[in-house]
This record gives sequence, structure tokens and C-alpha cells, in this order.
Amino acid sequence: MRRYWAGLALLVVTIAGCGLGGAAEEEPAPSAGGAVKGKVSLQTWALKPKFTDYVQGVIDGFEKRYPGTEVEWLDQPAEGYSDKVLTQAAGGTLPDVVNLPPDFAVPLIRQGILLDVAQADQKLAAEYVPGALDAYRYPGVQGAYGYPWYLNTDVNYWNTELLKKNGLDPEKLPASLDELIAQARTLKEKSGGKVFLMSRRPELGDLTNAGVPIMSPDGARFTFNTPEAVALLDKYRDAFKEGLLPRDVLTDTYAGNAKLFNEGTVAWTTGGGNYITSLATDNPTLAPKVVPSKAMGTPPLYVQGLSISKATKNAPAALALARWVTSAENQAAFARLVNIFPSTVASANDPFFSKSDGSNSGDAKVIAFESLAEAKVLEPVQVTEAMKKLVRQQFSLAVSGEATSREALDAAVAKCDELLKS
Amino acid sequence: MTHHRWFTPWVLVAPAAVWLFVFSVWPAINTVVLAFTNAKPLGGGHFTGLANFERALSDAQLVDALVNSIVFMLVCLPLLTMLPLLIAILVEKKLPGITFFRTAFYTPVVASAVVVALIWGWLLDDRGLINGLAQGLGVVTTPVPFLTERWLLLFSAISLTVWKGLGYYMIIYLSALGNVRRELHEAAAVDGAGPVRRFWSVTVPGVRNTMLLVSVLVSVSALRVFSELYVLSNGTGGPGGRDMSLVMLIQLYGRGFTGHLGYASALSLLLLVVTLGPMLALLRLNRKAA
Repeated sequence: MRRYWAGLALLVVTIAGCGLGGAAEEEPAPSAGGAVKGKVSLQTWALKPKFTDYVQGVIDGFEKRYPGTEVEWLDQPAEGYSDKVLTQAAGGTLPDVVNLPPDFAVPLIRQGILLDVAQADQKLAAEYVPGALDAYRYPGVQGAYGYPWYLNTDVNYWNTELLKKNGLDPEKLPASLDELIAQARTLKEKSGGKVFLMSRRPELGDLTNAGVPIMSPDGARFTFNTPEAVALLDKYRDAFKEGLLPRDVLTDTYAGNAKLFNEGTVAWTTGGGNYITSLATDNPTLAPKVVPSKAMGTPPLYVQGLSISKATKNAPAALALARWVTSAENQAAFARLVNIFPSTVASANDPFFSKSDGSNSGDAKVIAFESLAEAKVLEPVQVTEAMKKLVRQQFSLAVSGEATSREALDAAVAKCDELLKS
Repeated sequence: MTHHRWFTPWVLVAPAAVWLFVFSVWPAINTVVLAFTNAKPLGGGHFTGLANFERALSDAQLVDALVNSIVFMLVCLPLLTMLPLLIAILVEKKLPGITFFRTAFYTPVVASAVVVALIWGWLLDDRGLINGLAQGLGVVTTPVPFLTERWLLLFSAISLTVWKGLGYYMIIYLSALGNVRRELHEAAAVDGAGPVRRFWSVTVPGVRNTMLLVSVLVSVSALRVFSELYVLSNGTGGPGGRDMSLVMLIQLYGRGFTGHLGYASALSLLLLVVTLGPMLALLRLNRKAA
């Protein structure tokens, strides 16, 4: 009998011990003051081997600038980075300085795992562009939780060969959804439905651009089931019914649109400032025939940043390192290797970004750089991957006509609210 | 002379037992506990009683996922129980070059499910080989929406699962067929039984236990289907997410920084219950038949 009681006790202890980890305890913020020396770790995301020399050069420069410091550089593979950071955060092994896009940073901010760099570094707001810094602020939480690193936005890319062959003028590119749909109709008629102009479903960012508020101002609930949103989805539904979009839009993710463009099946896509460079590898014959233009509506702002672990043992060195890596000079050098854009105010007048070398890739870079002045983060940082997926699914039902736009939007809002609150 | 200490077997079994406890027993117990909480990957959570199960009952996607998983199982079960047996009977014969056919049927088993699903995706796409051929031959005028229509996508994934599973179950049947005594076939033939009669009266009873094993394996793996549907639908779960399986739903809610571990665990428990059902039914059926 004693054995059963012992077994039961063990089971109770086991069950009590598993399941719920304790909430992060509020720890005092490490002091930012003090000498910059000692060991400090830096984690980047998929920069090896392509940018090994650049990053190592930046690190060497830092160690030279601050004698007595030693940087341990960790580079994580592209795949599974969020899981890696999650494991590190849960296990208390987050490196001192870590590359986190804003949506990765949000849950860590809420758990008090990241250092408020705005408090620790008073010059932050004056030296980095406001839109980028805002991406590291969270409604209801004081401070900013990352040094904005590099920025990017979307540019329109058009396959001029397909446009010309199908009765469209590359000089008169569409600048609104209505113009896009009208030209898509011409292209479909001329090509006999073999190629398409449009191949992407609307996303939350499109609703923001149509003036639809995605969330309430306090970030407590979703509000994108408005008549304007219904009207937008209805336009896509009608276009789909007319055969102006391939059926793939019902299941393809955003990347599917670029894939079709690369194949030469679709005449329009959107991509970052360096899209033509990567296209030149995938489809070298198509790359020279592509022309860029400014994104329709407000361009989206994509931000990368460096956050600092609140548990760092060496806050002075971590702050100095984050500031060093994201400095105007180091970002400018990085931007010369790849079409990304610096987040520092001082870089705004750099002629490298504002003058094209005459190539279509150079034009795209200039368009992207100019777009950044008005670019905004179009999706609130509270929107998680699961929410995005559920929204896509509902929008897909609306576009296919299986649900009305109103039903799909109501269902998407209800799902997002449920995930936000639970 | 040998000494047997009482702890010797425990020491020998300890590495495997620790492994089993850490990676199977502990997570299983943890899942049960988490199902009654609103736990997140960071910051713990609170006990919420049956809230996750109430939420599951009102989740329209769960109904779709259950229907998909059950249809998947109901179609795969007879096909993957009978077809591999018939193929095993064919390739069991000792003919010249039969090894080639055995290998050919087994090849899909060796290939990764994701790679195979990607290849099938290219074949079944609107601009893929199959639609290209069908349009070229004038069989259809517009592409068949294999990957963009709810039921066609589900049945494409079922076809892929059946094609990929044939070889695996064929090997299991081949070893079972070796145990069916040849004299029984000869005696039946002498008594005037034709090949069909011998199949039902000699072969099937001879491999009945193996058929039960195969049925259980097929039904469990069909209910836990993930890769085929995930890759064929580009991870979206088909148009409107209506092709999600239970495992895809668990993945949707359980992963990432903001994963809803509580709800995902409740769905895992539902999957366990759903999986146990056909297993117990098949075992009961077998006991009755015996």
C-alpha cells in the first residue's frame, strides 16, 4: 500500500512541477554607466557567410575603439530563428546584444526581458529616425527596446516585356488598385488568360493603406471589420471572379507572388530595394527587363534592430556595441554591400542612396530610399504569425466568394481578438 | 561465479528509461496539465479549468480539421490495408527481375515526405505537368484546381499518402505471407478452389493479425497527417484554411513566441481521444472475429 502512496505522491509532485513556468521576475535594470570593457556577446541572424568579413570588421573596429573589450559573435541560421530566441529567452541565455525584428521583440518586452535603451541612452531619439524607433515601442510600456539597425521597404516591380506584349504601356504604370484592376483586365484579354498582372491577396497592410484602423488606439482589440475593408475585399473578389488573378492566390503565401513573377507568369510584384539583384541570380534574362516604381499608397516599413538583454552582466559594453554596430558609418558601409538603408538621421543626406547609377537596380534603390521618408509599419506589432495566418485564411474565403467580405472580416477580427486576449 | 545485485537491471535499463521519461512521459503529463491553463512559452500562465475545451467546441476550424482527419482515415484505411497485400502477393512470386518491382514499390517510402509532397505539388499545380498534359490533350479546357479546391486538395493529399505508404506496408505483408503455409494453398487448389477463393479463405485468414496491425498503423498515421497537407497547401491549410488537419491546427496555435500552449495542448488531448477510437474499435473487431 505504501508503494501506491509513494507513487501517487511522485505523480502529484511531477504534475505540480511541470506545466507552468513562473512569470519573469521583475529585475532591476542593469546600470548603463561604467567603463566599456570586458566580454560582450552579439547575436546576428543569418549574416554568415555572406557578410562575415563585414561583421568581423565592425567587431574588430569596436575592440580597437574600446581596448579591453572582447566580442563573442554568434550567428544563427535563418530557419528557426524565432524558436532559437524563444529558447534563449526562456532559458535565461539570451546574448547581451541580439538582433530582433520588432515582432520578435514584443513578447520579450512584455515579459521584461529586454533593456529600455531609451532610458539608458539619452541620445537615442535624436540619432535614429522616429518611425524606426517607434517600432521598438509597445503600447502601455514605457521606453524603447532596440537600436534600429537597417531598414527596408517595398517597391513595385514590373515585367516590361509582358506589359508591352499584352497591350500595356510601361510608361503608364498603375498607381492605384482601380488602375491596377483595369490594366489586369487588359492583360488578361490580350494574353487569353495565360499571364496575369495581379497575383496577391490583400493583407492587413492593404487595409491600413485603405484607411482602415487595424486596432483600437489602446491596442486592446481589433477593429478592421469596417465598410471600407468590405469594399476593398469586394474589389478583389470581383477581380478573382473575372479571372484577373490566378487561383493560386487562394493558397499561396506572399512569396508565391514573387515566385510567379520570377517565372514570367505574372507582370507585377513587390519586393525590397535589392529585389532585382536577387532576381538576376534566379532569372538573369528577366532581370534587365524589370522596371521599378514607388509602392502604391503608403510604403511599408521593415525594421531590423539590436536589442539588449536586461540580464546582461556588462550593460556599458552591450550599449556601446549596439550603438557601434548601428552607427551611421557602419550602416553606410553595410548598405554598400547590400541594398538596405540606414536607420540613422545622419545618413539622410548620403548621396549614395539618393543617386542612381543608371541601372534598374540603382533606380530601385533610390525609389526605396525616397519611399522610406513616408514609409510606416503597416501592421501593428501585436499581430502574431497565427493571427496573420487566420486573417489570410478568412481573406481567401472572401476572395473566392465562399464567404461574404463582411463575414470573413468579422470572423478574422473575432479570431484575432480571441488570440490577443487568451 | 556471478553476482546479481538487485540494482543491476535498473542500471542497465536506466539510460533508456531516463530518455523515455524526459522525452515521452514528462511531455505527455505536461500536455495534460497545460491543457487546463492559458500557458504561453514565456511567462507561465494560469489554470483556466475547461476553458480551452469550451473554446475548442465552438471552433469551426476544429470541426473542419476533424472532418478532414476522419475522411483521410476512412479513405486511407481500406486502400492501405488491401492494396499493399495485393501488391505483396504479386511481388512474392519468384520470377526473374521481380526484385526490380519490389524496389520500385519501396522507393517512395525511402524518400522524404516533404520532398515527395513538393514534387506532387509541382505536378498538380495549375501550371503543372498533369494540368499541362490534360489541357494539351484537350481533356479539360481550364486547369483542374487540385491544390486550390478544398476536397480536391484533400484527395490529392490522400493519393500521395497512399502512393507513398504502399511499399512500407507491402514489406510487412511480404514477411507475413512467408508464414502462410504453402500446403494450405495446395490443399485448397486440390479441393478445386480458384485464386480468388484461395485469397479469401487461405491468404486473408493467414495474414489476419498483420492486417490488423497495418490497419492500426494506417489509422493512427492518417489521423496524425501533417506533412502532405502542409506542403501541398503551402502551409496555408488550403483555401480558407479548410484543409487543415488536427496536427496542423495544433502547430498553428502552439508555435512561436506567442504560442497558445494551453489551447494547443487541449487540441492534442482531443487528437489522442480521436486516435484511440479507431484503435480500440479495430482491436474489438479482431477479438470478435477470433
